[in-house]
Amino acid sequence: MSQPIIQTRDLTKYYGEVKAVDHLNLTVYEGEIFGFLGPNGSGKTTTLLMLMGLTVPTSGTATVAGYDIIKESREIRRVAGLLPEGAGYYEDLTARQNMDYIGQLNDIPKPERERRINELLEAVGLEKWADVKVEKFSRGMKQRLGIAEVLIKRPKIAFFDEPTIGLDPQGVKEIRDIILRLNREESLTIFYSSHLLYEVQQTCRRVGFIREGRLIATDTIENLSKKVSGGKTLEFELTEITPELIREIRAIDGVASVEQEGLRLYVYMERDRSRDVSETITKHGAIILLMRPREYSLEDIFLKYYEGVT
Amino acid sequence: MAGVGVVFRKELADHLGSRRYLVLFALILLLSTMSAYQGVLYIRDRPQAGFMAIFWGTQFGFSFTYLMVFFGPIIGLALGFDAVNKERTGGSLSVLLSQPIYRDSVINGKFLAGVTALSILAASTVTIMSSLATTLLGFGPGIEDLLRITLIAGLTILYLAFWLGLGLLFSTVTKKTSTSILMSIATWLLCSVMISIIAALIANVVAPIPMPTGAGINTTRQLFESPEYRELLQRRFTIQTSIQRISPAYLYNEAAQAILGRAGGQFFIGPGGGGSPFRSLDVSQALMMNWPQITALAVGLVVCFAASYILFLRLEIRPGG
Repeated sequence: MSQPIIQTRDLTKYYGEVKAVDHLNLTVYEGEIFGFLGPNGSGKTTTLLMLMGLTVPTSGTATVAGYDIIKESREIRRVAGLLPEGAGYYEDLTARQNMDYIGQLNDIPKPERERRINELLEAVGLEKWADVKVEKFSRGMKQRLGIAEVLIKRPKIAFFDEPTIGLDPQGVKEIRDIILRLNREESLTIFYSSHLLYEVQQTCRRVGFIREGRLIATDTIENLSKKVSGGKTLEFELTEITPELIREIRAIDGVASVEQEGLRLYVYMERDRSRDVSETITKHGAIILLMRPREYSLEDIFLKYYEGVT
Repeated sequence: MAGVGVVFRKELADHLGSRRYLVLFALILLLSTMSAYQGVLYIRDRPQAGFMAIFWGTQFGFSFTYLMVFFGPIIGLALGFDAVNKERTGGSLSVLLSQPIYRDSVINGKFLAGVTALSILAASTVTIMSSLATTLLGFGPGIEDLLRITLIAGLTILYLAFWLGLGLLFSTVTKKTSTSILMSIATWLLCSVMISIIAALIANVVAPIPMPTGAGINTTRQLFESPEYRELLQRRFTIQTSIQRISPAYLYNEAAQAILGRAGGQFFIGPGGGGSPFRSLDVSQALMMNWPQITALAVGLVVCFAASYILFLRLEIRPGG
């Protein structure tokens, strides 16, 4: 396992009375793409802003690349780049001029700066647009420029906040490819915040799930799916359903709950008791028209997380 | 102070290349040269007026000082009113602040760049006016005149910087540029135009001029020449001035008139009831007499900047703006 590069301890942020982030404990390891998943308004952006030292936590601490987020926030901004949600650029400057400004703010000497600008504009596919004013850029191009700006300081960690929001599928794919390549070739640690499950699934190995400011789960996506579905659910369609039948199924050891929906029954089991359940049904004289295990789509799983059913 | 130089250079280049600045500069330059020409005509008619009259002498209504009273707020506010909130709503502020700089570098750099742009505008306008007048008149400013020219340029820069500071404050307080531009326009109208009307109205309510009741030239004359009437006029004038002094534009005008060699503030009525309301002052006298006005402008500037500085440092970069 590689070294932890981001560690938060009980990180908490209030905006007035509103709790934006609530005792967040999170570890991100060097060289990984960490997906930070959660619905809108769950505290993702606030967490990112705190980690970059742009807003001060109400309580708790965190370190990024070994620097304290409160006392050494400027050092963090030297080694970490952030592409904020809805990042903006100076519209009446060209892509090159925009990048040059950011480069200067990072104290990069001129020849090196020019070299990096050319290199990065090429890497994000904007070399032909280098001297065009940003006002002419499409959303996707601006977002790619944003990534290039993040990279000009040669960061150890890059924070991307909803980097694909509002982009067309082509744009989304371009951003994703760039991010994956950066991680592969430069072994850049990437902290990828998004509410789009599919996006995160495509890019990240490990995800953290945040809801109402609390970190609900951190794991690989496969493990998370397993956790949510837990045991097994069976769906039955029967010719008749009596209350006694339901009571009897519930009484079976290993059955967690039973739900009725018309002539359908959903049986949630902690262990596989399909045989006992179907036997009980036939004993009651009902005929099984349909019996199948219920499968969760990824959407279902994450809706469960979103709704707080854990 | 990492980054302040970088922000300063970028902001200054933005100002000097912006249409907004260039249009204002061209307008001021055009009107100023016209006012200098009027000043030259004035001096030709009254050779005793002195070189400085190019800044106050008028034939068709507007002098340099008047231009500054009227347009000064607009110039300063125009360079400041969207300095912070435009970047905030545009999303470039959060990108800027995630660079390894201290937050105050941004506001300091922006303010210094604005002051520099305004200094360039004021200094070059005054220089061009003086050289034009020298060419037209055939004689140039004396040593004392040069001192006065320098002082008037300095005062104008201070005055414009005050408005810049106020604009910066508006742009820090408000989220939308549409709000800050409205606040700017309202302040401009109030300080440049409305204040004298309001002052006159209040003075009229507090100390109304009695209309002579008995007809006849003699009673009217008696009334106008009576000491009570003079006292009343003096009172009205004091009330009006005190109210107008709320406006930085009025303070600037008073100080500028004094520096240009005309005594502002006091209303002198010669022994015969007539006479000039102005008398000539030497430079040190002028500065001494108008020190409160100059101090008030400087304090106003400091207060505006300090307030926007503090607000900017406390600004929460929140999700979504």
